[in-house]
Amino acid sequence: MDGSTAPGKLARKAGKPIWPKIPAEFVRAMLAGHSALGLAFAALIYLVCFSGSIAVFTYEFNRWEQPAGPVLHDATPQAVDAAFRAALAKNPKAHDLFIRLPEPASPRLSAHGDDAQGGEHTWIADATGKLVAEQKLPWSEFQAELHTVLHLPRAWGGFVVGLTGVALLSSLVSGVLSHPRVFKDAFAFRWGGSKRLQEADLHNRISVWGLPFHLVVSLTGAFLGLTVIIVGVLAVATFKGDTSKAYALFRGPAVADDPRPAAKLIDIAGALEALKAHYPNARASYIYVEHPGETGQHASVNLVTEGRLSRGETVIVDGAGKRLGEVGYESGSVGIRVLGAMTPLHFGWFGGWPVKVAYFLLGLGLTAVTSSGVAIWLARRRDKGRPAPRWERVWIAFVWSQPVAYAASALLALLAPMPPVAVWGLATLASMGAAIAWTPPVISARLRLLSAALLAGVSLAHIGLHAGRFADPVAWAVNLGFLTAAALLALSVRLSRTAD
Amino acid sequence: MSPLWSLALAPLPLAGTVLLKRAWDEPRPERPWLILGGWGLLVVAIAASVPLLGPVRGPSAMLAVASVVALAFVGAGVEQRNAKKRAARELAPEPSDRRRVVWRGWLRGFLAGPLAGIAALGCGLAVAICAPGQVQSRMVIGGLIVPFLWAGGMAWTLSDDKILRAFAVLAGVSVATLGAAFLKGAL
Repeated sequence: MDGSTAPGKLARKAGKPIWPKIPAEFVRAMLAGHSALGLAFAALIYLVCFSGSIAVFTYEFNRWEQPAGPVLHDATPQAVDAAFRAALAKNPKAHDLFIRLPEPASPRLSAHGDDAQGGEHTWIADATGKLVAEQKLPWSEFQAELHTVLHLPRAWGGFVVGLTGVALLSSLVSGVLSHPRVFKDAFAFRWGGSKRLQEADLHNRISVWGLPFHLVVSLTGAFLGLTVIIVGVLAVATFKGDTSKAYALFRGPAVADDPRPAAKLIDIAGALEALKAHYPNARASYIYVEHPGETGQHASVNLVTEGRLSRGETVIVDGAGKRLGEVGYESGSVGIRVLGAMTPLHFGWFGGWPVKVAYFLLGLGLTAVTSSGVAIWLARRRDKGRPAPRWERVWIAFVWSQPVAYAASALLALLAPMPPVAVWGLATLASMGAAIAWTPPVISARLRLLSAALLAGVSLAHIGLHAGRFADPVAWAVNLGFLTAAALLALSVRLSRTAD
Repeated sequence: MSPLWSLALAPLPLAGTVLLKRAWDEPRPERPWLILGGWGLLVVAIAASVPLLGPVRGPSAMLAVASVVALAFVGAGVEQRNAKKRAARELAPEPSDRRRVVWRGWLRGFLAGPLAGIAALGCGLAVAICAPGQVQSRMVIGGLIVPFLWAGGMAWTLSDDKILRAFAVLAGVSVATLGAAFLKGAL
């Protein structure tokens, strides 16, 4: 945050201030720390915030990328069982299978498992449980993985993202402490004039009004990212380094591993019917079957109850269909319940599309706060006669490289079997190359226009490729979203030219 | 418990923000009532969301929607700044000008990164191992403490000019908490 005061309000008769007076030296020291931290982590925070805003709609992108369906709003226990058996038939020696049931955010019945060669596959089933297509979601998976692990090895990626969350949380703390007027000026939003003051107003207004959201996503994001390291250290201290023992505390009743062949395969339909009788208000969202066909076979069934901020309760069922107990995400101790709320709270997956849209907009707001933070620092240098023109160009190119890279990777994922992460990396580098040739306003305008063109291209290419096979109406909504984003980006260029 | 209730309740935080803005605009006799009314409407919106959307889900959804509504209202009231007219106190305070010494920079980075992280991990671990309560709760609360304390330690060490003091405190906390955790050594 960067402090500024509201000039129009200075003439007001000063009342007794409600905020405690903070010593100027403390403010200046905090500001120095805030700047140093913000600059050190700017690019990572920007990337994690931008990718997180997009990842809010992961379920919708999944549906958009394979819009032909079959779209199911419900699946009978028999259909789920049939899908499970059909997936197992593809590899009878599968170690585990993951069955996802239809739910409002994801109206598909799918089964995930590996083949005999170890390759992973997800198959989509119809209303009878027959596997009708293989799920292919390269771009949706790319964007989700960019946010969660930055496409690094899982442990390292999670740590870097978690550390970025810590840096963001720290910036929030130092930002609030170093701007004593930030709440007092909560409505002062002015545009034009000095670049530094304009960016400061944008930075501070979004920071203040989005503060609850910023705190929640940074704390939950840091926790989720650092889980591996936290559990690892805990395991070293208490379980002689065996992390599986630490994780086992959150997996509910254990089933002993017994590789001998079972008399009969686990009856998923029967288990679902029994659970429906036991939990009449809940619906199953997924089933994770481990060691199918062995004596030690068992399933973890996740049950979602409407109106709860939770990933759902997970119930463990043994090979005979007997309910062994719950993990406790909704019925256990405070700690497990908090854990169960962490992912939905972080991604905005708990309140339907209004909350998703709110998270998306607030996430973009946090992205803008990051961008404006660096812009303020650069403008301050310029005001003091120490401009950094190269960094001004690099930063603006990086900021606008991400819409370009995301749109380019989505477009090429539709048109050619290219790994989206490679396209994203190349597009980011190419956009950064603009920093060599153009001035910041030109870089900003051209990259925004390129993003607009690519986004419109994504939408049109998708309609062209899948027209007539849109079983899922969300595909239209996502395409409309892309076209709207393209129009807004183009309009922003036009408006900034008019302002100049 | 339709999620659309969060939209239906959105006019309440909007009206609350309008009242707060009116109170902010100029000092008038009814200002305290406007402030009270503004915050009151936000509280009513959150309270109303509990029966309509769920006891934890409702307030969480309402906070997100209310933030967007308030930001949209503030954005809609954007003023064009007069570039020629410069207010006397408009500029922000300047960050403190520190002497640039390489070893201090590296030490500060070490304190804010690894050492603050180790101290925070130590505190989290101490809570997970030594605190009373159910083991899973201790682990999750201990885990949540880690990023929070690390962030606080980062903010402190990067702003405190007396870095040796920060070093001593963080090192002491690390030794004490990790020592306690490893000495007890069982959940």
